Amino acid sequence: MIALVDCNSFYASCEQIFRPDLWGKPVVVLSNNDGCIIAANKEAKVLTNIKMFEPVFKIKDELAANNVHMFSSNYAFYGEMSQRVMNILHNFSPLVEIYSIDESFLDVSGIIGIDMNAYGMKIKETVFRYTGLPVGVGIAHTKVLAKVANKIAKKFPKQLHHVYVIDTEEKRVKALKWTKIKDVWGIGRQHAKRLESIQVYNAYDFSKLSPAWVLKHMTVVGLRIWHELNGKSCLNIVEMPKPKKGIGTAKSFGKKLEDLSLIEEACAYYISEVAEVLRAQQSCANYVQVFIHTNSFSTIDKQYSKSITMTLPVATNDTFQLIAAAKEGLYNIYKPGFRYKKVGVCLSGILPERYVQGNLFHTPKKNTNELLKVFDKLNHKYGKATVYSAQCGSRKKEWQLIQEERSPRYTTSWKELLKIT
Amino acid sequence: MQIHSPGKLIRAKEQHRAEVSKQTGFPSAATHYTEPSIDLHKELVTNPDATFFIRTEGSEMEYFQIHDKDVLLIDRSLSPKNGNLALVVKDGDFLVIEIDLKKLEMEYTLWGVITYIIHKAP
Repeated sequence: MIALVDCNSFYASCEQIFRPDLWGKPVVVLSNNDGCIIAANKEAKVLTNIKMFEPVFKIKDELAANNVHMFSSNYAFYGEMSQRVMNILHNFSPLVEIYSIDESFLDVSGIIGIDMNAYGMKIKETVFRYTGLPVGVGIAHTKVLAKVANKIAKKFPKQLHHVYVIDTEEKRVKALKWTKIKDVWGIGRQHAKRLESIQVYNAYDFSKLSPAWVLKHMTVVGLRIWHELNGKSCLNIVEMPKPKKGIGTAKSFGKKLEDLSLIEEACAYYISEVAEVLRAQQSCANYVQVFIHTNSFSTIDKQYSKSITMTLPVATNDTFQLIAAAKEGLYNIYKPGFRYKKVGVCLSGILPERYVQGNLFHTPKKNTNELLKVFDKLNHKYGKATVYSAQCGSRKKEWQLIQEERSPRYTTSWKELLKIT
Repeated sequence: MQIHSPGKLIRAKEQHRAEVSKQTGFPSAATHYTEPSIDLHKELVTNPDATFFIRTEGSEMEYFQIHDKDVLLIDRSLSPKNGNLALVVKDGDFLVIEIDLKKLEMEYTLWGVITYIIHKAP
């Protein structure tokens, strides 16, 4: 059996742990730069017609009128709380796949002699007691069915108390008939549309299609979902995350920038961030992509956007080399006279450090490797960007994110502990 | 017979790195008895996933020997017992109380049991 455990409106729930004055009240969390809504708890979803990813400025009045509490995103805090939940889940199964910041699959097939519903309840109650975070649990024979069970648990909280187990054929059929085809995990919008056009409206209809048809029209990916819905497990629990194929970051500036030197500094800073991730997973990158663009929502600004990919002579994870390459790219695409909103970088062609092919004309510098190790150690010990390349400049305030409503980093900073009187 | 001229002698650079240290004296008698140093976090935090630190402000909690700017360690996984100190919620506000199990259920929502109070010496 597989259990899917996910946190209910995770970011918003995190924000409520240390704010009992907001328990049961509407809360939303804003994206980086406070641009749009990325999470809302059920109270906020019910109260207003908030759509995810809606720009905040459009609905600011509506939010205020309904006393919806807004938070800037506080990823340091969410990350730590997510880690705590994952640690707790490891007490319930030897095999846990961390699927996302707020979702995990647990292999619970080894749990014998315990009622699965009771086990799910125990998971839910323990996570809540330890962390204050509400979770839902769906248990079934396959991952896709566990997803379905989880959805049902969420939909009927009063009857099911956020836990649902699909363990009989009768329950499986009932659950599949209840699940709309577009809500099946792994079935995209295009496929859902096409299936609806041939009168496949729910997961049950889909499970009754012939496997040959599914294979022909939806490839082996669709066939796996078909098998999983029919109770045959095809998707394994993966403990180790795959190394990432591309690592990127792009954030809007706090205000529009025209000056190339400031954009350069932001670009260098982002490269430093992603290069650190690269080194942490012992990989190197072959390509650096850089892009800049203006605010496409603006009606008064002239619009421009461009992207470029630079190839490195030899794959590397050296911050300094990557910054040099990114800057060269940036010089190529930057045009004066525009008010830029965002610069972004993305490293790709990623391969493990030990597979890096040398180059006859290029010998790796050993000294920088040592330097970067010290770099990473210092930044890990004393906090992010304690030491950084001078290319990042010292004018971060001019371009960094606006996070006006960020809550304290309750669990990661001594200075920001919750204060009680 | 060949004669080797030693040429000009260059003094070797002094090296302080640990891997080239040449130990000579009597080896430390403690070598086989080394143990990890005392780690306060390990001692005070038995369940790290359920433990939170908070700071107090003001003298409202002097009655419980909790002073201004103390750090409270709170373990949410513990079951409260009569006489424990706990952080509870009443009407949306945090409060520190001494637990009376009968009253707890009626009047408050438990947030966590206080396990340690860290106070800076004057």
